[in-house]
Amino acid sequence: MLRMPEFQVHRARSAQEAVELWHGHGGAEGRGKDAVWSAMYLAGGTDLLPNIKHRLFTPKHLISLALPRPEIVDEGDSLRIDAGVKLQTLADHPLIQAVLPPLAVAAGKVAGPQIRHMGTIGGNVLLDTRCLFYNQTESWRQALGYCLKKEGTWCHVVGGPKTCVAAQSSDCVPVLLALDARLRLVGLGGEREVSLRELYRYNGFDHLTLTPGELLTELRVPKPAAGFRGHYHKLRTRGSIDFPELSVAVTGAWEGDAPQALEIVIGAINPQPKPVRGLDEWLGRPLTDEGIDAIAALVHKQTRPQGSIIGDPDWRRAMAGVFTRRALQELRAASA
Amino acid sequence: MKTILPLRVNGETHELAVHQHWSLLEALRYELGLTGSKQGCDKGDCGACTVLRDGEPVLACCTLAATCEGSEITTIEGVADKDGPHPIQRAFDVCGALQCGFCQPGMILSAKALLDRCPQPSDEQLREALGGNLCRCTGYTKIFEAVRLAAKGLDRQSPVRYGEPAEGFLVLGARGRKADSIQKATGEAIYTDDITLPRMAHGKILRSPHAHARIRAIRTERAEALPGVYAVLVGSELPTPYCVIPWTPDETALAIDKVRYIGDAVAAVAAVDEDTAIKALALIEVDYEVLPAAVEPEDALKDGAPLIHETDWKGRPRQDNVCKEVALDFGDVDANLAASAAVVSGEWFYEGSTHAPIEPHCALATFNPDGQLTLWSATQVPHYLHRELSRVLGLPTSKIRVIQPVLGGAFGGKSEPFDLEFCAAALSRKANRPVKILYTREEVFYSHRGRHPMLMKMTLGADADGALKAVDSDVLIDGGAYHSFGMVTTYYAGQLLTGPVDMASYRFKSKRVYTNKPCCGPKRGHGSVQPRFAFECGLDELAEKLKLDPIQIRRKNALQSGQRTVNGQLVPSTGLNACLDAVERSSGWKERHGKLPYGRGLGVACSMYISGTAYPIYPNEMPQSAVQVKADRSGRLTVFCGASDIGQGSDGMLAYILAEETGILPDDIVVVSSDTDLTPVDLGAYSSRVTFMCGTAAQEAGRKLRQKLIGGVAGAWKLPEERVGVALGFLYDKDEPGRQISSKDAIWLAEAAYGPLGEVGAYRTRKLGGDYRGGSIGASPAYSTTAHVAEVSVDPETGQVTVEKVWAAHDCGRALNPQLVEGQIEGSVYMGLAEAIMEAHTFREGGLHLGPNLLDYRIPTSVETPDILTHIIETIDPGGPYGAKEAGEGPLHPIIPAIANAIFDAVGVRLRRIPFTPARVLAAIGQAEAARLASK
Repeated sequence: MLRMPEFQVHRARSAQEAVELWHGHGGAEGRGKDAVWSAMYLAGGTDLLPNIKHRLFTPKHLISLALPRPEIVDEGDSLRIDAGVKLQTLADHPLIQAVLPPLAVAAGKVAGPQIRHMGTIGGNVLLDTRCLFYNQTESWRQALGYCLKKEGTWCHVVGGPKTCVAAQSSDCVPVLLALDARLRLVGLGGEREVSLRELYRYNGFDHLTLTPGELLTELRVPKPAAGFRGHYHKLRTRGSIDFPELSVAVTGAWEGDAPQALEIVIGAINPQPKPVRGLDEWLGRPLTDEGIDAIAALVHKQTRPQGSIIGDPDWRRAMAGVFTRRALQELRAASA
Repeated sequence: MKTILPLRVNGETHELAVHQHWSLLEALRYELGLTGSKQGCDKGDCGACTVLRDGEPVLACCTLAATCEGSEITTIEGVADKDGPHPIQRAFDVCGALQCGFCQPGMILSAKALLDRCPQPSDEQLREALGGNLCRCTGYTKIFEAVRLAAKGLDRQSPVRYGEPAEGFLVLGARGRKADSIQKATGEAIYTDDITLPRMAHGKILRSPHAHARIRAIRTERAEALPGVYAVLVGSELPTPYCVIPWTPDETALAIDKVRYIGDAVAAVAAVDEDTAIKALALIEVDYEVLPAAVEPEDALKDGAPLIHETDWKGRPRQDNVCKEVALDFGDVDANLAASAAVVSGEWFYEGSTHAPIEPHCALATFNPDGQLTLWSATQVPHYLHRELSRVLGLPTSKIRVIQPVLGGAFGGKSEPFDLEFCAAALSRKANRPVKILYTREEVFYSHRGRHPMLMKMTLGADADGALKAVDSDVLIDGGAYHSFGMVTTYYAGQLLTGPVDMASYRFKSKRVYTNKPCCGPKRGHGSVQPRFAFECGLDELAEKLKLDPIQIRRKNALQSGQRTVNGQLVPSTGLNACLDAVERSSGWKERHGKLPYGRGLGVACSMYISGTAYPIYPNEMPQSAVQVKADRSGRLTVFCGASDIGQGSDGMLAYILAEETGILPDDIVVVSSDTDLTPVDLGAYSSRVTFMCGTAAQEAGRKLRQKLIGGVAGAWKLPEERVGVALGFLYDKDEPGRQISSKDAIWLAEAAYGPLGEVGAYRTRKLGGDYRGGSIGASPAYSTTAHVAEVSVDPETGQVTVEKVWAAHDCGRALNPQLVEGQIEGSVYMGLAEAIMEAHTFREGGLHLGPNLLDYRIPTSVETPDILTHIIETIDPGGPYGAKEAGEGPLHPIIPAIANAIFDAVGVRLRRIPFTPARVLAAIGQAEAARLASK
């Protein structure tokens, strides 16, 4: 069996205790590809433990988050989602289904049922970037000669020594970005709130702007304006288990067939999810078929998938346009 | 250091000593002995380790035991209660939802979580809820049936009833349970990795990071010095080469002077635990001289290509990388092609794929103080393993016992000896303690022996009325690093194409080439699935050219029962037309083929497959299969047979046949199989030989015993033997049917009359095959036939192909247990359609496998596996037991071309390369559109 290296498990009953345990057990030195983790946080474990089995991380201490029962709470103009909420809970929750339907859809499409019962929304947001040349065993990576993201100096996807393009592959993140979610982070110095839009950067081996040791405790998602419509499409080979090969989140406020606000976020192609730019010109007037085609072409233009998974990047790129078009057609038709 | 963990499991609190870095799966299996939770993929991709945590399904392999304090864990062992198995477990048993049974504990727990939450799930909810549990045997069809039955409510106390037998039979033809399915459903079945022995060490194998390299030196001192290491083994200690085909030994247990693929075994370690063994592997220093690699067969054939094997098995220098070459021709192909009204010529490529049984290979070896080796192994060929262990270890076969425990799927992937079996045995000898080696999932991909990639150039010609005049085939086979069954593969790639569609002339060339990749071998439908794809697609194109219905062109050329194929194989029975009739009717072919809207289509294809091969792998005059049976005073029968039940149900088959002959109830028949100390030889579960051959042997033994039961009763009743009849559970006077005696009492009478009751039966192969060199390869005593219709929808904007439904008709001769036959058909369809639409064993330029795990190598889940409707066609075969033929491999073949032909019907493009990925389909649609516009 693929085994985990030895470590100690520490249970934290509160966020503060977790942060203290993390620092007390050596925290981390360096960041990104050069980080040496003495301690790491463990939530659902569905991403971290396979990565540990692959010897991508070899922490000496795992701070297991056994926080008070996580909740989803209506706070008036926003929903508070505790980071420890399980993905299946999110998918099934009446409040999420009623107020943020595309988030329920995205959470319900993560992996398979078991992983949704284990994995948390916090873990999904902070998911490590993924790549064919990275998510492999130690011996496999040795045979490869390692890669830029871990122990090596060369990206085998782009064929270069500088840029790592391992992809942020969360299902929920494109939707949360489109919905302008905010995050509450707890560190030794106290709490802070950041926009999810500020969390990611285009660097596969250091894609999070977090300070190491900061713990994600809550997400706040503003309640959408009246006329909200949203859509999440996940491209995957199988109907279960798989990570997205491409994801398309479309949200916005509509009056009849006229979008008043529109957000499109493409995921699973780059280290950073891709909010599509330049949508304003279609706002405030009925969206025609030509308009939909033009937006789809814009999405296609701005989508640059990399060969970080098995499969044809050009085809995935083409699909970004196709699924955007279908999403807009569906959302426009929802006015009826 | 271990710490004490209080853990609630199945309603009891345990104080467990666990390491902090142990998964819940390790704690359950290795500390609590709850081995019902299975380990399949190492890291959360397969679902075999599913348990319930506070009622919710979770993956035990990705849960730390140390984080489970305070949770209520339910394993498969906790699902049954004092009233017996849970209704879901009963339903899995009743419906035949368990084949190998390895994925089912996890599957049943996911089903339980679903029904507890949602007692009447919709079809979509059901598929979704089981989506995280991969099954490789069943095609999910009978699993869905079982969960639906459980949802309806099932009396958990009710005995499992047998359906109605075929007319004139006591048992055969009835839908019945598999011999061991309730044990599998309750987690009681013991697979190889479930066995632990006192003082047992754990072995690990060091593998090559290079596709091709010379080993200059191996230094093991540092590994040997590591505390907890018992023994280190290198290739020079086991220098005898081996191969499942005794003529072509080109492999050693561990590489000696060269490694030939990334993953080739180099050294092995036995240590106190796996963690220590892994640390020791890292301390072994191997000095490699990296050599140029030939990864693709085209490269391996170039002038100046690196020689992968420098000498052949006789020590003669090799000139090239050709492993085996065959060229045969029958009739005047060139003249017939020239005279054909329509000719189709093309190049097809069949991608490699692997078996991916959910159980990884595992072997456990121990020597007793007298030097007697016992090896438990997840093998489907205990007899061949027994022979090769003897050669490689230098031990007489009398000093070796091979036992195959319950097997978690095989599909051809466990049909020859593997490095772990030799290493476990040799390490055990060296360390003087039991040694177990369990492959990681990645190692399963390296050991491979899966489907050969084949590049096929094929030309077909037919008369205007569709009569097939000529087939010309040229096949390049990518063999990987070693021979395996290569000689047989090379023949099968040509020899098995000549039915059920007859042809007036045929010529084939096939060439298997060594490459620096994991070795290919026999995957379900060995050697013939690939050319069948090319041929059945070509036939469809011929029908199109000739404006014939694709079913009609196949009917027109159907081989008849008792006819010889163009290459001289006698086909005693064939049910092609009945199969075609069935799928034509049930699919609504006449009303729908060619008439569905753009994007939706139907396709047909057919095939023929062997029921065993004429000759054993090593030449001998002894039977291919033997059965011993004993009856005792308890009223029970014990059947001994070397046959391997790999999930297909051969243990049950033996029981049904003995029940049929003797009238003893199937539940009173114990089957002891695949243990070389206890069971007479059967050659193993390959080439679809088991039902035909072991079944015949069982029939003979059963008939002899039946005669003694009749004789015992006739003697006691002072009646002529002809007046005594045998019924299920009793014997009776045919003239006075009210006069009955139980089977058990009949055994007492027979033992009194004849002494202890024991009988034997055997299957011997007649001389078969064409009268030419190689004519016996592909010769079988009987052939099954199959026809499938597949319905697909193709999204013309994305290229995504959805297989909507499959109608599968298979002629298996007499269906001894139709439920098991259906299971074989459904599983075959599933495995074939997976190859057609998604599976690919793909490599990087340097020979590195691109996804040796069950996340990147995708096998279909319950969500995208279509409904499969089976038709059993019973063309009674004159040679088979009660007329039975094979059902386990034939039904895989037609689904790939049927899907390709359906895609053509849907969107008008011909795909000649599998898998039919959306990108390929979309590109083909684009090219067709461009060509259409250009021609305007």
